[in-house]
Amino acid sequence: MRLGLALTEGREADMARVAEAHGLFGVLTGWGDPMTAIIAAVYASTATQHIRVVTRVQLGLEHPVTIAEELSILDNVNNGRTVVLVDTGDLDHEAAADEIAVVREALSCRPIQHNGSKWKVPAGLPANITAPSSISVTPKPAQMEIPFWVMGSMAATVGAASALAVLAQHPDPINEPRFVQPGLATISGNLKLDREQVIAWAASGVTHLMLQPPEEVELDAIMTLMSRHLGPEVMMSHFPRVMSESRVPLPWPGDTRR
Amino acid sequence: MRFGVGLFGLQNTAMQPAHWAGAYREMREYATLMEELGYDELWLSEHHFFYDGYCPALLPAAASVLSVTERLRVGTGMLILPMQDPSRLASVALDIGRRSGGRLDLGVGLGYRDVEFDGHGISRKQRLPRMLKGLDVLEAAEAAGGFRIWMGAQLVEPVKRAGQRGHPILFSAALPFERCKTLTKIWEEGWIESGRPATTKPSIGALRNIWLTEDPKEREAARDWVRASYVQYAGLGWTLPAVGEHEQADFAEETDKAIADTVETTITGSAEECIRQLREFEAIGIDHIAFRLMLDGAPRRALEPQIKRLAEEVMPTLRDKVVA
Repeated sequence: MRLGLALTEGREADMARVAEAHGLFGVLTGWGDPMTAIIAAVYASTATQHIRVVTRVQLGLEHPVTIAEELSILDNVNNGRTVVLVDTGDLDHEAAADEIAVVREALSCRPIQHNGSKWKVPAGLPANITAPSSISVTPKPAQMEIPFWVMGSMAATVGAASALAVLAQHPDPINEPRFVQPGLATISGNLKLDREQVIAWAASGVTHLMLQPPEEVELDAIMTLMSRHLGPEVMMSHFPRVMSESRVPLPWPGDTRR
Repeated sequence: MRFGVGLFGLQNTAMQPAHWAGAYREMREYATLMEELGYDELWLSEHHFFYDGYCPALLPAAASVLSVTERLRVGTGMLILPMQDPSRLASVALDIGRRSGGRLDLGVGLGYRDVEFDGHGISRKQRLPRMLKGLDVLEAAEAAGGFRIWMGAQLVEPVKRAGQRGHPILFSAALPFERCKTLTKIWEEGWIESGRPATTKPSIGALRNIWLTEDPKEREAARDWVRASYVQYAGLGWTLPAVGEHEQADFAEETDKAIADTVETTITGSAEECIRQLREFEAIGIDHIAFRLMLDGAPRRALEPQIKRLAEEVMPTLRDKVVA
């Protein structure tokens, strides 16, 4: 199992930079205001080069074609590192599934002509006399297919209907976990408790676990906890703890960061 | 005077292929260069559903530039306001304003392509009421601080409306000098009619096609890049409508003439000649110039030296005039 970091609103660039330096697989943005989640993801993206940028996108707040366009720009800004965590928000399962379908179709490399329960794209409105019967959202994402995960009250139904991974929020064993199975947990900063927790999550079938750090503990301490202890612990079976508990190698003279 | 560079559309065109992710990376590199050279602003441009990936979402693109710069402003020239939910747009603009120290210039326009409205589920007939409602929402958000509204328009009524509502305006590079002069007067009439004092009026800006060179071959190439860049407008189906004595320029139906006339607006020549022509704009009240340099066909090895030359040989003289 690999670990990622849930970022605090307004600190995305700095936290993402540190998360990358500590070898995490990705960061999660948009945990604050859902309106500004994609902007938060842009800031995490330009501060990093390698990590995945998971951005929470709440449905029902804007036209899905506009959302697809913004996601495509994000994916080109970060050169194909975007993952979308769809939050079904206040939509019912049918509307949520339809909206997700529009966003995904718009991001595909086929023209879109969608006639669903909630959305018709293009709309075919009489006043728009020269509009064609299909559109192509451009630019296309940098990656061939942006991964989509689902959360929210309709996640289970929508995930099943759309064949998308549902974000696990409890370390209970998952029936038929997906090849990539995301999860989200909060850590305390206490090594013993957090270590037991991530081991339980790994046993549940989760493959990529986002961790929300406690506000009261310094970020450097949390990152060291994650990269030195928690991450290695769940990267192999029977991790030899001597690897993380032995003395830290000396720094190069003048180099302060360990 | 203040200076910017545009218009960044982040395209992969038939004439100048590029990887989109590379275009976004290069824009950030241009931005850091511009900041070092003392430019004030970088301008983006929006279209939807076009083959070349013309940037359809300006605020994420603006955020990407603002996140790697410290002083440079970023303007949207223009974001098609009727296509957006104004409340969400205001939230995003305020967020970018907070993150960037208030460096977002939110330029908004009406849009004109049926396909763009239809793809977003909006009737083109609704674009004016949606624009006006959107402006009400954005103006309330602007008052809270963090971003500044600009407007883009080429016709009498919307230009006057921009003046009446107190918004700075950015004219298209396709507008010849005389049309800029006419519209500047109209904007000022709107400003004065609204009861605002003449001493506090904001900038009026204009995009200008420009290439500083004494070399005839460079001049020929630069003018041809301007030509190629307006072929885009033929593909998009843009028409510059008539205003008073100023004729219509129909890029879709009279492509060659419209493009040829627009190429003639290009300022080229020595630094002295560029300065002379830009002072003419300053004399009619346009004190904010965005150099329209991101042209179809213009390679980076030509653009970077041009951005440097304009910064070193043109901008200091015109800035000094204001100080004096």
